[in-house]
Amino acid sequence: MASTQIGSGTSQHIGRIITRAIVTLVMVATLNFILFRIIPGDPASLLLGGARSSVTAEQMVAQQQNWGLDRPLFPDQVVDYLWATLHGDLGFSFKFRGRQVTDLILERLPATIALVGVAQLIAIAVGVMLGLYAGWRRGRAVDHIATGASLALYSTPSFWLGMILIVIFSTTLGWLPGYGAYSPGATIGSLGWLPDYLRHLALPVTAVALGLIGQYVVVARAAMSEVVTEDYMVTARAKGLTNGQMLMRHAFRNAMLPVVTLITLNLGYVVAGAITVEAVFAWPGIGGLTVEALNARDYPVLQGIFLLLGASIVVANLLADVAYGLLDPRVR
Amino acid sequence: MTENIVQYSPRGRARAIKGFLRQFLSHGGAQVGLVCLVFFLIVATMPNMLVGPLQTAINATGDFLVPPSGQHLLGTDEVGRDVLNLVVHGARISLTIALLATVISLVVGTTVGMTSGYFGGWVDTWLMRITDFFFVMPSFVLALVITPVVLEVMGRGGDILGFRPSLFVIIVVIGMTSWSFVARIVRSQTLSLKERTFIDRARVVGSSNFGIMVRHILPNLVPQIAANGALVVAGAIYIETSLSFLGLGDPLQPSWGTLLSLAQRAGAASAGAWWYLGAPGVCALTVSLSFVLIGNALDDTFNPRRRAIP
Repeated sequence: MASTQIGSGTSQHIGRIITRAIVTLVMVATLNFILFRIIPGDPASLLLGGARSSVTAEQMVAQQQNWGLDRPLFPDQVVDYLWATLHGDLGFSFKFRGRQVTDLILERLPATIALVGVAQLIAIAVGVMLGLYAGWRRGRAVDHIATGASLALYSTPSFWLGMILIVIFSTTLGWLPGYGAYSPGATIGSLGWLPDYLRHLALPVTAVALGLIGQYVVVARAAMSEVVTEDYMVTARAKGLTNGQMLMRHAFRNAMLPVVTLITLNLGYVVAGAITVEAVFAWPGIGGLTVEALNARDYPVLQGIFLLLGASIVVANLLADVAYGLLDPRVR
Repeated sequence: MTENIVQYSPRGRARAIKGFLRQFLSHGGAQVGLVCLVFFLIVATMPNMLVGPLQTAINATGDFLVPPSGQHLLGTDEVGRDVLNLVVHGARISLTIALLATVISLVVGTTVGMTSGYFGGWVDTWLMRITDFFFVMPSFVLALVITPVVLEVMGRGGDILGFRPSLFVIIVVIGMTSWSFVARIVRSQTLSLKERTFIDRARVVGSSNFGIMVRHILPNLVPQIAANGALVVAGAIYIETSLSFLGLGDPLQPSWGTLLSLAQRAGAASAGAWWYLGAPGVCALTVSLSFVLIGNALDDTFNPRRRAIP
């Protein structure tokens, strides 16, 4: 891209990374601003919502002045919007009347982090190892089975996997609960709360993890397949290293490069998959909130979620770039 | 302007195509993918001949949530509609959405990538900044906020070009948000192509920039565009299924995702109605997998470096 700046490679690299992150964030915020304003009817009448019939014209004008809606869209309203957003003020929900969007999101965030976090860990452990092994033994039976299965998992919507899991393990076998995060009557902190929570977590986590495993196997296998054809692997074999030594000293570390990047970059897709899975299991996280907001046309909440996703994806990208720089000296 | 382009001799071209087909069809994955795809395309072109008109709650033919039987091969749903009927009609809708969205994203991606790579400079910088944004933000997340707002603006009634508004919006939104990968690949390919001698030659002969891009660069991009196009379709099916599942589809023109959404609302999973939620899911999975397999096989065939790695 614009590689005309003069300076050391590293600072140039970091500068470019940060510029890209800022540009992306500004675009997310701009999109949010525009979307909210192209909805027919001005925000004042939207926010007063069902009460519209009992609201007088004077009250409406007063409210518009109060919210600054009578001022020009640009620059006044844009600046106000960005300023409020930067201070964590995302406005009020339509559906949960009077509640701050920020509060609603923060309340639901832990459940999603638990779901996504545990699923990620399982997927990394299983998927990356399986993929690296399949790439190492490429062309063998292990490889064919692992690749075939993971391509199928990769093409399967994770929420559908969730529905199938419910049919098998919840409805038919009755082993695990397929709805919500707690049994009725259970309170946080009470005896047996954690085992109950984990039992509820099992099926949604499996659904999200299976989808991710498919993806990680594909990437890890491709990375390993590339590595084993490299010249340094031939050298390693010529030096008389055993297969195990070659795998551990040379192949593994080099193959992990693209894998680490993918895992960090993947955050947006993980959360996107989790949204639909949460909807299937009535899991009380961001996904559940998204579905409620979609059904109630609760735009402030929807946009808050979009902003949160956008910001976390940008941060994940920053981390990926930094990690890549640390792992691969060629980038520096 | 460029009448004296050196054409392949017809025989040489036929041989090239034959060679390509032999290599492409030697992939087991490509064979499986093509067979499945042809099957679903046939089903999608004539749903009325195969299973009759789309059933609604009014002309439903069965009891509620009946398991598969001789009369209803895939059972019935919560209002007694034949699931086979719904799935076959869903094939037409899901495939139409996915293919049209892919066409849009290929056109946008190729245009952006080619312009960016060919002109370079500030055009490249700015187009790539926009591309980066779409590359970083998952298409699904973007579609999730854009679709309901656009629907609110346009209204859900009537139809646009024969589609219900929600389907039309989903097609356009998926198309406009999933082109970044294509743009990146086309750009890098254009960068190397424009340094070749035949481009210099075309310029000396007096071709315009537009002429060079369309007549000389674009034909050389076809392999990359085709391989990635297949993967874009797979992605589009995934996004469409997820969006419709969250209730953004249209019940009057139900896609596979909409059927899954209806199954979820009817509590099919907890009622153990595996046929109701199984059928649309298996279809979406099969078609999506077919496109992935075909895309991978095309990539292997066109890309000698990948071919070297079994």
